[in-house]
Amino acid sequence: MLSFIGRSIIQKIITLFFVSIVSFLIIHLAPGKPSQVDPLNPKFTPEIVERFRKEFHLDKPLHIQYVYFYRNLLTGKTVSWKDNQSVLGKIWERFLNSLPLFIVGTIITWTLSFPIGIRSAICRGGFYDRSATFFSYLLISIPGFFFAYILIIFVVTHFHVPVIGLKTFGIGDASWLRMIMDRVWHLLLPSVLGATGGIAILSRYVRSQMLEVESQDYVRTARAKGVPEEQVHYKHALRNALLPFVTMFGLILPGLIGGSVIIESIFSWPGIGRMAYEAILARDYPIILTVNFMSAVLVLAGTFVSDLLYLVVDPRIRL
Amino acid sequence: MNAIAKDLDKNALDAPRRSGLHEFWQLLKQDRLAIIGLAIFVLFFCIALLGLVLTTGTDPTLKPAMIRLQEKLRQPLSRPNLETLRPEEVPRLGVYLLGTDDLGRDVFARMLQGAWVSLTVGFVAVGISVLIGILMGGIAGYFGQNHVRVDHILFLIVLHSGVVLLLLWVRPLWAALLGGVVWGFIFSLCWKKVWKRWQLSGWLNILRKDTISIDTLIMRFVDIMLCFPSFFLILTVVALLPASMYNIMIVIGLTSWMGTTRFVRAEFLSLREQDFVTAARALGVNQWRIIFRHMIPNAMAPVLVSATIGIATAILTEAGLSFLGFGVPPPHATWGSILSDGKRFIFDAPWLTFTPGFAILIVVLCFNLFGEGLRDILNPKLRQRY
Amino acid sequence: MTIRRVLIFAPIILIVFLVQSYFWVPTYEQQTRGNPDRLNDYITASIGDASILNPILSADSASSDIESLVFEGLIDRDEELRFRGRLATSWDIYEEAFFYVNEGANIPGVGRAGAQDVVALLQRARTGDLRTELELQASLGNIREISVIPPRDFLVVRYEEKERKDKEPAEVKIRVSAPVRIKLVLNCVDQDLFQKLSHILGKDYFASFNGQGYLTVDDERWQEKRGAYAEEILPATEHNPIVVFHLRPGVKFHDGHLFDARDVKFTFEAIMNPKNLSPRIADYEPVKQVEVVDPLTVRIVYKRLYSPALGTWGMGILPEHLLNDEALKKEPVSLDKNPEEFSMRQSSFNRHPTGCGPFVFREWKSDQYIILDCFEDYWKGPPNYNRYVYRIVPDLLTQEMEFYAGTIDSYNVQPHQVERLSNDPTYQNFSGPSFGYTYIGYNMRREPFDDSRVRRALSMAIDVDKIIDYVLYGQGERITGPFVKQTDFYDHSIKPTLYDPEAALRLLADAGWGRNKEGWLEKDGKRFQFTLITNSGNDLRKAVLAIAQNAWKQIGIDVRTDLLEWSVFIQERVDKGDFDALILGWVMGIEPDLYQIWHSSQAHPHQLNFVAFKNTEADDLIVKIRQEYDHERQVAHCHRLHEIIAREQPYTFLYVAKWTAVLDKRIVIKERDLRGNVVYKKIKPTKTGNYSFYFNKWIKLPEIPSFALDG
Repeated sequence: MLSFIGRSIIQKIITLFFVSIVSFLIIHLAPGKPSQVDPLNPKFTPEIVERFRKEFHLDKPLHIQYVYFYRNLLTGKTVSWKDNQSVLGKIWERFLNSLPLFIVGTIITWTLSFPIGIRSAICRGGFYDRSATFFSYLLISIPGFFFAYILIIFVVTHFHVPVIGLKTFGIGDASWLRMIMDRVWHLLLPSVLGATGGIAILSRYVRSQMLEVESQDYVRTARAKGVPEEQVHYKHALRNALLPFVTMFGLILPGLIGGSVIIESIFSWPGIGRMAYEAILARDYPIILTVNFMSAVLVLAGTFVSDLLYLVVDPRIRL
Repeated sequence: MNAIAKDLDKNALDAPRRSGLHEFWQLLKQDRLAIIGLAIFVLFFCIALLGLVLTTGTDPTLKPAMIRLQEKLRQPLSRPNLETLRPEEVPRLGVYLLGTDDLGRDVFARMLQGAWVSLTVGFVAVGISVLIGILMGGIAGYFGQNHVRVDHILFLIVLHSGVVLLLLWVRPLWAALLGGVVWGFIFSLCWKKVWKRWQLSGWLNILRKDTISIDTLIMRFVDIMLCFPSFFLILTVVALLPASMYNIMIVIGLTSWMGTTRFVRAEFLSLREQDFVTAARALGVNQWRIIFRHMIPNAMAPVLVSATIGIATAILTEAGLSFLGFGVPPPHATWGSILSDGKRFIFDAPWLTFTPGFAILIVVLCFNLFGEGLRDILNPKLRQRY
Repeated sequence: MTIRRVLIFAPIILIVFLVQSYFWVPTYEQQTRGNPDRLNDYITASIGDASILNPILSADSASSDIESLVFEGLIDRDEELRFRGRLATSWDIYEEAFFYVNEGANIPGVGRAGAQDVVALLQRARTGDLRTELELQASLGNIREISVIPPRDFLVVRYEEKERKDKEPAEVKIRVSAPVRIKLVLNCVDQDLFQKLSHILGKDYFASFNGQGYLTVDDERWQEKRGAYAEEILPATEHNPIVVFHLRPGVKFHDGHLFDARDVKFTFEAIMNPKNLSPRIADYEPVKQVEVVDPLTVRIVYKRLYSPALGTWGMGILPEHLLNDEALKKEPVSLDKNPEEFSMRQSSFNRHPTGCGPFVFREWKSDQYIILDCFEDYWKGPPNYNRYVYRIVPDLLTQEMEFYAGTIDSYNVQPHQVERLSNDPTYQNFSGPSFGYTYIGYNMRREPFDDSRVRRALSMAIDVDKIIDYVLYGQGERITGPFVKQTDFYDHSIKPTLYDPEAALRLLADAGWGRNKEGWLEKDGKRFQFTLITNSGNDLRKAVLAIAQNAWKQIGIDVRTDLLEWSVFIQERVDKGDFDALILGWVMGIEPDLYQIWHSSQAHPHQLNFVAFKNTEADDLIVKIRQEYDHERQVAHCHRLHEIIAREQPYTFLYVAKWTAVLDKRIVIKERDLRGNVVYKKIKPTKTGNYSFYFNKWIKLPEIPSFALDG
């Protein structure tokens, strides 16, 4: 066990090292330079551009830049090129904004997919199952932004309430309950939109897991014994079907920082995805690289956690 | 094939026999959703081909790029105002089937053109990812146990530094040279027998020291690639590269091969141990023949499924990129770009948003349903249950 | 089964909880009910966030939107785009001119003369003792005083380019013994002064002054640069225009500190400080020095004639007491940063600015909003709105949705939306010409664009009126030259080229292009073929690209098009001059200074005259315009230049887009009349098309008011 942990940590650190190199190279070798200064702005002279290059270490060879960047990142000194703010501070602030979206989205996904998936498995092949299949594929197949616009326009034109942003602007000093509910309302649409794909995939997965388990011998035995059908489904089958989902808790970790660029742009939600997108547009390399690095860390941590959870819940696996 | 193998085949044929395709069709018929998916898929393919025929050439039948400003934002099925149009501007169909956009271009013609482009983006991107996936997964699965030796690494370092040096001088050669590195590497793997026959004395033996297995190497690379959030990675690269249709296809392809690699590797690992492969090997069949004739066809099932769904994903990804302004640039119209251009006019001309939106929805849905049906059919384990 | 019940009820409860929150959110109609403060807030939306809230460091439009409310400049422009005083109550412009006495030159009628003789001669001329022409008389009459600066010796050190990388720049010592110099103080700036004086002092009096003779360079290696040094250190003549600003007394910064002349001087020095990397350094480069005469008077001396310089003082003034060296030293210590590397760029001031504008900065959340409060002690009285909120909403369609939901008061409304909203009784809408124009530029280094007939023909083949009507929904105006249409500099008598493909073909035939069998234009067996490029992400330009391609195809030109990502477009194509034709836009300053974009010396790579427009007469006019301080004469020069550019057609000038705006009808101007009664007026754009000119007087009312007079 301990050796497994040690080995996988070392392995993950090595992977992380290569990820950092690859992402650094992708960004620095791409054509086009960071246009910190708009080249067509008559106010900028080549000397100023040159000075910016120097300040950002862009005049140094690549490997030196690499060392500078990751040294700063690990000591928490990286600053955004755009506004000289600390990158970690910015990411933290955005993270706090993305967090409710992530939490509500995850809760919606997990609470909805289980009933849907289980019921589909129970009535497999029936009308309910087929329509659930169809709808879950429908949800995966809609272009996200198209769906988002349709929803927004529907809500705004029919109910005349704002849906964009973290909260209603100009709401003034209302009671705290109203404030909270206002925020919940603003969370509703983006998190539902973010959850659609998840619901579709997870419910399909629940369904196939349930089917897998229901064809096992012990379920058949239970049925033969005369255990009521409901109890077979919810007690014998479900418990065992849940096993792989425990490990999925680790795998949702990367979603914490990934965010959805498109949903956040449409809802002008100041989350991490949007910050990263704006950083790409502005070629703010420190932010792009840091977000990339952190999401790689989360992916690796996620797989690590899920491996560990697997070890814990499944007594058959011994490493 | 060898005589014994033929005999084995004959014995198997004693059972009531249906051809593979026939059996496939029988199974498919049971799944109504997949049938609908396939039907729409075929229809879409025909439409895309038709679109290609009708909208390319010097004087296309339907002119997707013809701008008639005075005819902008006409509703679907409206007739052109013949008085204001020059003869060559009059649409061939005599009617704007799906209306016109903000520049007075015929949306129907653009949708037809876009069908082909979207399909190309999907197919080429998935083609790239499947090719890489099979190659990498195949190598990892079949040659995985071989180790990269110190001499390989030295070889690579020498070649690589050569490439870097050359890169500084001559730019266009670099692609050819990188290809050379890969081939040289594979070559040295295949000719290890020759290499092993040479006697090396003393410390030179260090050259033959094993370092890391190829399987580990490739799978670690897959891990590295999986660490990047995929849409974000695609967005970064597409935003940094000059906008072009080819870049988008290549980038989507290059960032989505990891799943295929894993499938193929797993299939290869299990196939390697199967009796028919052992038999073939025992009969002295060339290992390339084993790979291409026996193993790849058997490993194709999950690849096909993921490719079908991959095309759907690629079309959606392209639409998402178009929305963010990094999609396929004009003059190519894609459904994604028609949609994201049209959304500004959603109150004035809803057909500009809804036509491409629903078109994407339907096509992606049919790809997904068909892929799902395919998965059920190709997976014997699931098949038994129904 | 409990499990089953949990599985079913959990999602239902969750959904009910989420959906019921709808009942707590205010709708458009209710936005003020129970929340009267909403009327005192003005909320606007922007696509991009500000980057740095410091007027001397920022270079993006979002930042300057906020800075214009938080900071105040010495001057700004009034309804008719004339200068008017803000922090300065008034200003005087005069000139000090210098020339070295050229003892070797022959003065007609006098011969060789020393300083005293020259002065005496000028004095005599001034009092009218000499017979002179009228124009010269005017120049002489302009001279207020004449004095003599005695000769002096001094040492100048210059640093020359290093020869090798590892070497320090070479230090060159130059010993100068400057001869006698004469100083003329003029009542107003006169760029032709020395040319006029040469009528008295002799044609070559200034030109033959040999500065090299007065300096010695120690180091042998740099001897050949003596000419250049002499030009720089001992110019024969020198114009030093001077602006004296009289500042407004009693103006306070937001923190209560009094504004005075030191703040002006400090702002200038901060811009010039290389550590700050100010993008405005080029604007202030002509300034020789800024002197604090007394707390309410600043005297600004310029190195040379540069008339657009006055406009630069509209820049927001920084508070010296918050940003001077002492304050900047304290900050890094508390933040635990290296004070050596710390400059104004790193200061937290840039996120919490303090100025003396009408609004006080309150809060900034990146990519969400910036909130400003009204400044009670604003020198002109506080604005009507209590609060100004600048929201960042990156998507135009969602901006529109927020506007309908009542959480935005104004947004970047598109022309087609204005058309739809124009009949809606809830909203009022405005439009007016903007300061930018869109054009197609031709690379005149390349065939066949070096022929003005071809360029004119290309312009004629494009139906610009159609573009304006259909692409811009009529929200645009034609333009024929590079000046701002609302100013006098623009010559309205020049008519735009008419759409006439036949005439275009005739012109092309003159230039040698004829149609071949396939219908393409051909000359000497070569097809007329080129690539038109523009940047991606701009829908209007994309539309123009498609239209131009189509229009040119009609007359037989094989045009390819390409859309490039902005930075690639600029760095790889525009900067390197690697293009045939491109579509771009310029946002013009009000000042008619065209040097960077149109002067032939600016046509090198990375410079802005990337179409390589070269015309000697235009060059001459461009230089004259930027040296002319007299408005009338400047206008005359501009009209001439406008004519040349319109004739040469280096660009196809397409249109000036109109900006459009939509506001709730409840927003009005609130003023007090002479008797102190509150009067409401409808918002109207000024003559030059600025609808938010009286923003400080705006307020939102609970109901749509009715205006008896103007309906």
